[in-house]
Amino acid sequence: MSQIPVHYAMLLAAILFAIGLIGVLSRRNIILMLMSVEIMLNAAGLAFIIAGSRWLQPDGQVMFIFILAMAAAEVSVGLALIVQMYQQHKTLDVNSINKMKG
Amino acid sequence: MNLSENIGQLTPFIIMVVAPLLLIVIISIKRNHLFSWLYTLLTFLLVAITALLAMENPLAEIPLFALDKFTYFYTILFSSAGFLIVLTSYRYFENRTEQKDEFYVLLVMATLGSSALVASRNFVSLFLSLEVLSVSLYALIAYLRKNELGIEAGIKYLVLAAMSSSFLLFGIALIYLETGTMDFGILAESLGPNLSVWILGGFALIIAGAGFKLSVAPFHWWTPDVYQGASSPVTSFIATISKGGMVGVIIRLFSSVKGYEYPSLVISISIIAIASMFTGNILALLQNNIKRLLAYSSISHLGYILVAFLAIPQNGAEAATFYLVAYFITTIGAFGIITILSDQDGEPESLDEYKGMFWKKPWLAACFSLVIFSLAGIPLTAGFLGKFYVASAGAGAGLWILLTVLVINSVIGVYYYLRVITTMFSTEKNEKTLPDLKLLSGAGLALLIIALAIIWLGILPSGIIELITRSTF
Repeated sequence: MSQIPVHYAMLLAAILFAIGLIGVLSRRNIILMLMSVEIMLNAAGLAFIIAGSRWLQPDGQVMFIFILAMAAAEVSVGLALIVQMYQQHKTLDVNSINKMKG
Repeated sequence: MNLSENIGQLTPFIIMVVAPLLLIVIISIKRNHLFSWLYTLLTFLLVAITALLAMENPLAEIPLFALDKFTYFYTILFSSAGFLIVLTSYRYFENRTEQKDEFYVLLVMATLGSSALVASRNFVSLFLSLEVLSVSLYALIAYLRKNELGIEAGIKYLVLAAMSSSFLLFGIALIYLETGTMDFGILAESLGPNLSVWILGGFALIIAGAGFKLSVAPFHWWTPDVYQGASSPVTSFIATISKGGMVGVIIRLFSSVKGYEYPSLVISISIIAIASMFTGNILALLQNNIKRLLAYSSISHLGYILVAFLAIPQNGAEAATFYLVAYFITTIGAFGIITILSDQDGEPESLDEYKGMFWKKPWLAACFSLVIFSLAGIPLTAGFLGKFYVASAGAGAGLWILLTVLVINSVIGVYYYLRVITTMFSTEKNEKTLPDLKLLSGAGLALLIIALAIIWLGILPSGIIELITRSTF
């Protein structure tokens, strides 16, 4: 079985990471921003799996499971905050809740 | 490692894990704010005492965490800081209509995350403890959910913190890809004299992720908004314990991989330090909101600490730790006073509300002046000695450009700090009534401890310096 070169796989992870980053910076809907952050986290997780497979160690996959668990915790708190935000402002647009400046 | 033999070394951490879980169970049976408050004070006290005892015999070796004197020193620092924050905030939460008890659960959990962060000697444990800290913080920032600014601050922090975690993770993955290890000690051996592009990229991403937590420029954009939106006790926590954890683990990482020997890392950290000192101090000049002013001032204080990082071979770790102790005491004092002056209507944020405070509350104003003097680094206060210590470590390492910037910024800093003090002494009429403070209440006691500690550290620092020297690398 021929192996995919490590750096190609890392390039894929980097592209995913960049897509997520552009999403966070350009989207103004808070739910889509959270989804973009999830893409970034999963790109980092993919990078760990690639690195783990290069060294034939389980550490990379272990790290990926940690990332999944942490992302789930983060999203659950995030969604709770979004519910509060929607009750107060009746909108999901982050520009319209931005009151603090300077 | 044999668990039963080394139970003493683990006790502080076991207490911080068990205490909040137990408190959740107690809350579900019966809510009592006074009980939760006393329970949390007792928890922090026990953690500090057990960590002090464990410090005598710090030999436990476990793969992910280093239970050494450095860890215990920071654990004592964090639990005492938590103790003081809880002590000042009883009446603050008593005046609020939200449920109060979960605040204490989250506070202890976040302190656990921060202490474990300092103990980390592996990127896996670094990541896990950082997330224990961060996820507790998201909830803490938006804790007063009837406050619109709190929700806004919580959402901003959540998105940016998650983004910075992914930067940190990607950086760790790059380093792991190149070296095949996530342990700081083995990593130090496998890094050659020249860093490859992948490792440099990895370190750059880690600096971005860590820089966000430390709120140094150019990663500081969240700081003023979150400081303003979060309730004062939480702001105090973010400013001290949350940043302190990151400072601790970065000192450990930086000194174990000998980061000061790589010019690229030194240059990037120098640029960040200079940028933070200038951004923090110059933007603070424009502020009329005391919490935003303190936010910008904290950005510049973290810049001063970064100067000590580069001097790690010349007792920079001691200088950074001492500076952190002084910064902890003064910051908790400043936010503690804002907490004490808050009433049902909210917090006194605008500088105008402090007009003529000296003529109404002379003791409180004197305490606030002392805290501000210490932040500005006026002699005979803790802040002055912290700055002096950082400057002498920097001079030993020959960091002359950074020291010049540090001195220029100390002068700029004095201007806006003194503006706060002149406001308190102004004779203009101010109709606002300030709440009473009894000396025999928790908050009064906390202020007394803070004021004494600032003067004690400023005049007789030798005891604490000796302790720090024994516990750093």
